[in-house]
Amino acid sequence: MTSSPPLRLQEIARVIRSKNAGPCLLTFDVMLPDATAFEAVSARLAALREKVARAYGRSENEVAVIAYRPALAVKITLPRDVVSGDIGDRDVYGAQQHAPLLEIEL
Amino acid sequence: MTAIGRLLDDFARQRRPLRSLGASGQLGYGIPTPALEAGLTRSPDMIGVDMGSIDIGPNYLGGGKLAPTRSGARRDLRKVLNAARRLDIPLIVGSAGSAGAKPHLDATLEIIREIAAEDGLRFRMGVVASDMPRDVLKAGIAAGKVRPMDTMPPLTEAEVDASSHLVAQLGLEAFRRALEADVDVVVLGRACDTGIFASIPAMLGFPPGIAMHMAKIVECASLCCMPGGRDTILGVLDDDGFELESMALSRAATPASVAAHSLYEQADPFEIREPDGWADLRDVTYRALDARRTRVEGAVFRPAERRTLKLEGAAFVGHRALLLAGAADPRFIAGHREIFAQVTNVVRDLVCEDQPEDYRLGFRLYGVDGVRNWAEAAASLPREAFVMGECIAPTAERAEEVIRTTKQYLLHHGYEGRLSTAGNLAFPFTPPELSAGAAYRFNVFHLIEMDDPAALFPVEVEVFR
Repeated sequence: MTSSPPLRLQEIARVIRSKNAGPCLLTFDVMLPDATAFEAVSARLAALREKVARAYGRSENEVAVIAYRPALAVKITLPRDVVSGDIGDRDVYGAQQHAPLLEIEL
Repeated sequence: MTAIGRLLDDFARQRRPLRSLGASGQLGYGIPTPALEAGLTRSPDMIGVDMGSIDIGPNYLGGGKLAPTRSGARRDLRKVLNAARRLDIPLIVGSAGSAGAKPHLDATLEIIREIAAEDGLRFRMGVVASDMPRDVLKAGIAAGKVRPMDTMPPLTEAEVDASSHLVAQLGLEAFRRALEADVDVVVLGRACDTGIFASIPAMLGFPPGIAMHMAKIVECASLCCMPGGRDTILGVLDDDGFELESMALSRAATPASVAAHSLYEQADPFEIREPDGWADLRDVTYRALDARRTRVEGAVFRPAERRTLKLEGAAFVGHRALLLAGAADPRFIAGHREIFAQVTNVVRDLVCEDQPEDYRLGFRLYGVDGVRNWAEAAASLPREAFVMGECIAPTAERAEEVIRTTKQYLLHHGYEGRLSTAGNLAFPFTPPELSAGAAYRFNVFHLIEMDDPAALFPVEVEVFR
């Protein structure tokens, strides 16, 4: 069995975005361009979860990953470091927290 | 006869699809007139607009302020109010004034009264305030009926007292009670956005899961389209599904774009959670009717075991003052962490000689760590960077004292290896300090079990003759 080449998220996704899901959670959408790319990422959800946890300094059980076929997307949700708008928050809407995802390879 | 009365009569004579116009998902930031007018030519049965969201942060709820300008909110309310009265169809407004607490609802109602008087409009309006009584909430805590959302800690009586404003997100049943008061216009304080568009379908007996799904999409106007935008959208609901069509020709509701909308600002794209239950989207299908219209079927309503209301509260944390400046010295940028720490100490020694350290002072270096608290240092440093100092103190005067002192000592701090001894900062203007008003934090984001919200959140009717 041959292993497939690594997938770099920013090279295969057509959308990678972040936003709040309520004031305590950050949610990321990785939208894939076609069923092939969606299947490829969906087959590696465990690895994705582990790498996201590491990139965002979270334990794996704090990171939820859901494959959402109707939009050929994978959704990732994790706790915010600071509740939206609290002292020390740097991104009240959470719209610019996706950058570490761009570099993830699966 | 009122607009809702006329609609109910019409459906009693002959059952047919229900046509809803989602005119704005963020009232106050502009409603494009061409798409709204196009929608009004399509025989809509109602117009709905949402004014609020929790995503804008705690300041509006805490401070009792609208997020858009009053003039922006007034302009948009005038458009939809006149449109609804012209066609004699119900207008439903949710989350009045952005955060939906008493000052927000009062400001919204005041604007509506002004418009009604100026434009000579006649209508009956049903209003439901959503401010959560503190004693009821405290009793709920004592009875074990309150639980935190997500990562919030358990709620305490002290936090209840600390909230400047406390609201409950009212659900479909509150919209329905307001409509059942036989009105033309409904305005709610903080409310679930789906209630705006799912309440009339509930009265007419449409399947609740499908109605809730449509409501969740059309409340964002044409955001579900490709390209997404704020133009009015038409949702046509029947007993098996609904059809979506943007009222702007440049926007297409495609199966992919509509399906993708379920991801937006939601932790789980397969669920829409509301006080009375949730819509299960696992078996939903999206089918193109043509290039610009999509039909959606398959959402199923699952009733909740216990009805809950989501509560939101924001507490005052202090007054905020800021320092805004730039830097282009590579030694300053490279050494910024130590420099900020040293200046923080210098400032503390000066402003705390005869007062306690009653404030918090922090810095961001945009270009380096303004947006994220990065785990690892950047591979290279930027040529220029933006410095933001932020102080939060018990009074505005104290916050300004700290930030102005900070400006002076950060400007002249003699850090290790400095070559540029005339000043460390570039001020884009003076004063480079500004007072940014009161600061708040979300201190309540919890659920309370509540079997009968009607008793706590009654409908009030106001008549414009």
